[in-house]
Amino acid sequence: MWDQQFEDILRRALPYMEPGETILADLELRDYGLDSLGIVDLLMDLESTYGVQFRDESLSRETFATPAGLWATLSSLTGAGPLPAA
Amino acid sequence: MSTAVVFPGMGPNRFADAAKFMMVNPSARRLLAAASDAVGYSVMNRFRDSEDDYSEAAQVAFFVNCVALAEWARERYGLEPAFCAGPSFGQKALTAFTGALPFEDAARLTALLARRTAEYFATEHRDLVTLSFVRAPWEALAPLLEELTERGEWHDFSCYLDDGFYMLTLRAQAVEEFERRIRSIGGLPLYTMRPPMHSSRFSGLREQVADEVLGEFTFSDPEIPVVADGDGSVVRTGEGIRNMLLDGYVTAVRWPSVVATLKELGVTRLCVAGPDRLFGRVDCTVSNFEVLAADPVRAMRPRT
Repeated sequence: MWDQQFEDILRRALPYMEPGETILADLELRDYGLDSLGIVDLLMDLESTYGVQFRDESLSRETFATPAGLWATLSSLTGAGPLPAA
Repeated sequence: MSTAVVFPGMGPNRFADAAKFMMVNPSARRLLAAASDAVGYSVMNRFRDSEDDYSEAAQVAFFVNCVALAEWARERYGLEPAFCAGPSFGQKALTAFTGALPFEDAARLTALLARRTAEYFATEHRDLVTLSFVRAPWEALAPLLEELTERGEWHDFSCYLDDGFYMLTLRAQAVEEFERRIRSIGGLPLYTMRPPMHSSRFSGLREQVADEVLGEFTFSDPEIPVVADGDGSVVRTGEGIRNMLLDGYVTAVRWPSVVATLKELGVTRLCVAGPDRLFGRVDCTVSNFEVLAADPVRAMRPRT
């Protein structure tokens, strides 16, 4: 599973997410209000917090489709382990 | 506090979201009926039945909602706007709101321009699209543009939105490789728009609109001075509004120039009237102004 920092950053980027609502791994981020400029802000938050730079394939729209996909991409950039299968 | 009303460019506008506001808001209901009379069909029904996010009816509905939201904001917050701006599609709502055209005329003009634009691009420039991308600082972007030039790929800026945030018109076949290069510098490609917009290549469309559409409309001097989206100049005459509409077909939108002018004019607050995910949120806007988002969600919220 992802860490608390990721959870906090992601939650801030989802305007339609209710406080206390569980962020599921396969949740469609777009349905919770993550639009283009939201993605840009989210990217900046993740890059500054984790000290990584999103480049090349990591900047595809698919990366930002679900929490699981985003965490997997972030993990590949930080060298952390991928999200275990649920 | 000096306030400017800004009508946003048009983004994808889901029927359910737009329709709910048009049914609930009294101004929107009244303006929708007036717009339907002006264009000769039920805007609501045709918008509901259209599958294209940017269909003629969707454009008229967006126009109606933007004007209605500005009226709502004026009443709700007692706004007395000192200036008005309307980047890209926002020009249409601006034309009605400032009185440069009566509302009904502006509604009909919106429909006619949508129709003429669709007809033009059905046969012209079918290979061109407009790509938006962000996180592309100029010093990193410039070499990528040189690469396009070296490959003989024509390209033209359509919108300057903020530092590192642009729209570029180019051949559809060149998009995939250009997106790859944008990602290589840490940039994020956003949308590919077809038909394209705001490019020097579209002088034929500008001429058609001038000769065959605008001739039947008489523009009055705007009651509120307008800041032109192409260069940030202040427009105070009906002729100026007409020219601004025409120039929009062939020149890029330069939102930072609009921001700079509004700031020079002493504007401290922007009321962004309409469904907006862009102009009221980019850094150059929020770092220079207090932003009041007059959007359907806020307008439908119960008054407390």
